[in-house]
Amino acid sequence: MEDKGIFGKIAAILPGLAFMVGTLWVLRTYVEPWMASAVLFGQKGWLIKVTHLNYILLAIIVGMLYRNVLFGGKIPAWAEEGFRTTRLFIKAGVIMLGSLYTIQSLAKVGGVAILLIMTFVFGTIFFVMFFGRLMGMERSMIGVMGAACGVCGVSAAIATSPAVKAKPSDVALAIATILGFGIMTMFISPFIGKALQMSDYQFGAWVGTGILNSGQVLATCLAFNPTIAPGTAVAYGEIWNVVRVISIPFVVFFITMWYWRAEAEAEHMSLGRILKEKFPVFVIGFFGMTFLSSVGALGAEGSNTLHLMRDVMSWIFGIGLVGQGAYIDIREIKTAGGKPLKVGLAAGCLKYAVALLIVMLFVSKESSF
Amino acid sequence: MAGEVKKSGKMTVFRTDRHEDMAAMVLVGCLVAIVLCYMAFIVPTVTVGAPSDGKLVSVAVPESGMVKKGEPLYAFEVKEKKWTQGKVEEKLVTRDVKSAASGKVLKVVAKPGDELKKGNPIVVLEHEKGTLP
Repeated sequence: MEDKGIFGKIAAILPGLAFMVGTLWVLRTYVEPWMASAVLFGQKGWLIKVTHLNYILLAIIVGMLYRNVLFGGKIPAWAEEGFRTTRLFIKAGVIMLGSLYTIQSLAKVGGVAILLIMTFVFGTIFFVMFFGRLMGMERSMIGVMGAACGVCGVSAAIATSPAVKAKPSDVALAIATILGFGIMTMFISPFIGKALQMSDYQFGAWVGTGILNSGQVLATCLAFNPTIAPGTAVAYGEIWNVVRVISIPFVVFFITMWYWRAEAEAEHMSLGRILKEKFPVFVIGFFGMTFLSSVGALGAEGSNTLHLMRDVMSWIFGIGLVGQGAYIDIREIKTAGGKPLKVGLAAGCLKYAVALLIVMLFVSKESSF
Repeated sequence: MAGEVKKSGKMTVFRTDRHEDMAAMVLVGCLVAIVLCYMAFIVPTVTVGAPSDGKLVSVAVPESGMVKKGEPLYAFEVKEKKWTQGKVEEKLVTRDVKSAASGKVLKVVAKPGDELKKGNPIVVLEHEKGTLP
């Protein structure tokens, strides 16, 4: 954004932000209640019961329609700055999610989550390294795709790219591939979860492990069960996801070492520097909220205060997800082709399927917290 | 999403991801402070609703009675679902619901035996200022 002063910047943000908020307001106030009461095929609420559509998925779909249909593929200048607040809202929502946990519950889930997540993160990276070399991909592209598929999609791909000297086109291809895969899994996962009669705990563990992007994990869990409360899919999915997000600096370091071991002429990056420069500090906010929740500073469970807090949280997420939908460009997904697409899809599908298998076989329907 | 990039004006209004992370934490801090202050000092009364679909068994505090935080407010019967050997088992469980804040019960809206939907009002509570109802 050009330098136009704080008030100029806020003024530039307002139209797009108002558009996102207005969209969510219409969806929650009119569209979702209408879907819940509309009679189709002789059944009240058929649209919600059968399609599992809720304001979360609607927000993403409407966002996609804005960009790809209404705006003709590009967010217009008047709304551009407002839509750029999308990730601010998603990150704020993730921080507020911390209020769903207590330190005791986090400690309980931590052991299982860390073991499962780390196995999948590094297992996927090794698979991409092996398959990518087999396909003759450039090492920089393998590094970016490995991070993208192993950890947290967009974030990890971008965090890794400077360390492995990746070209912007490498990053774009990795992102387009994993986002395209993520969109597909976002829509089919709730149906698979329902068909297999997965519990919220199992679904959260599967999606938090198998889907590659934080926003998509969130959206998928909420599509499976729109309730935001302890014991629901989004609570479990996000705790799994947060464990994965925390691993980003270590993954970046690992891939950097792998890359530079062969590229001896170039400079190395230290773990300390990566931690300092790349660690997603908003995760600290998540744990801060968990601490406040643990000491009862946010009100007792079931209180009107926590209820209001979660209502605010659902609005924050909803606004972010309208924006997230608007950043899904169908043309970008179409550009993801060739070897990176094959490697990315193979890694994504393998991780998604193996995670499902592991969860169904070894994760009980009842949660440990 | 974490660590997503240093932007060149592409996907964030902030200079870097780190700035965006900090802004998200400040935003949440402000929202939490507003919610807590609003509930503790501005809202005079709260309606305590049914925590889920179920049946009101008894109300522990009469109208105009005082209740302290953590004391039983009402007893509620719910269907509890549990996964046992891959099947859903349902059983009726009666739970004592405790008051989230100290205060005075202004009105008892529902009566024992009422079948209630989640959120249906049970009692109206005037909570002590500075507490979180």
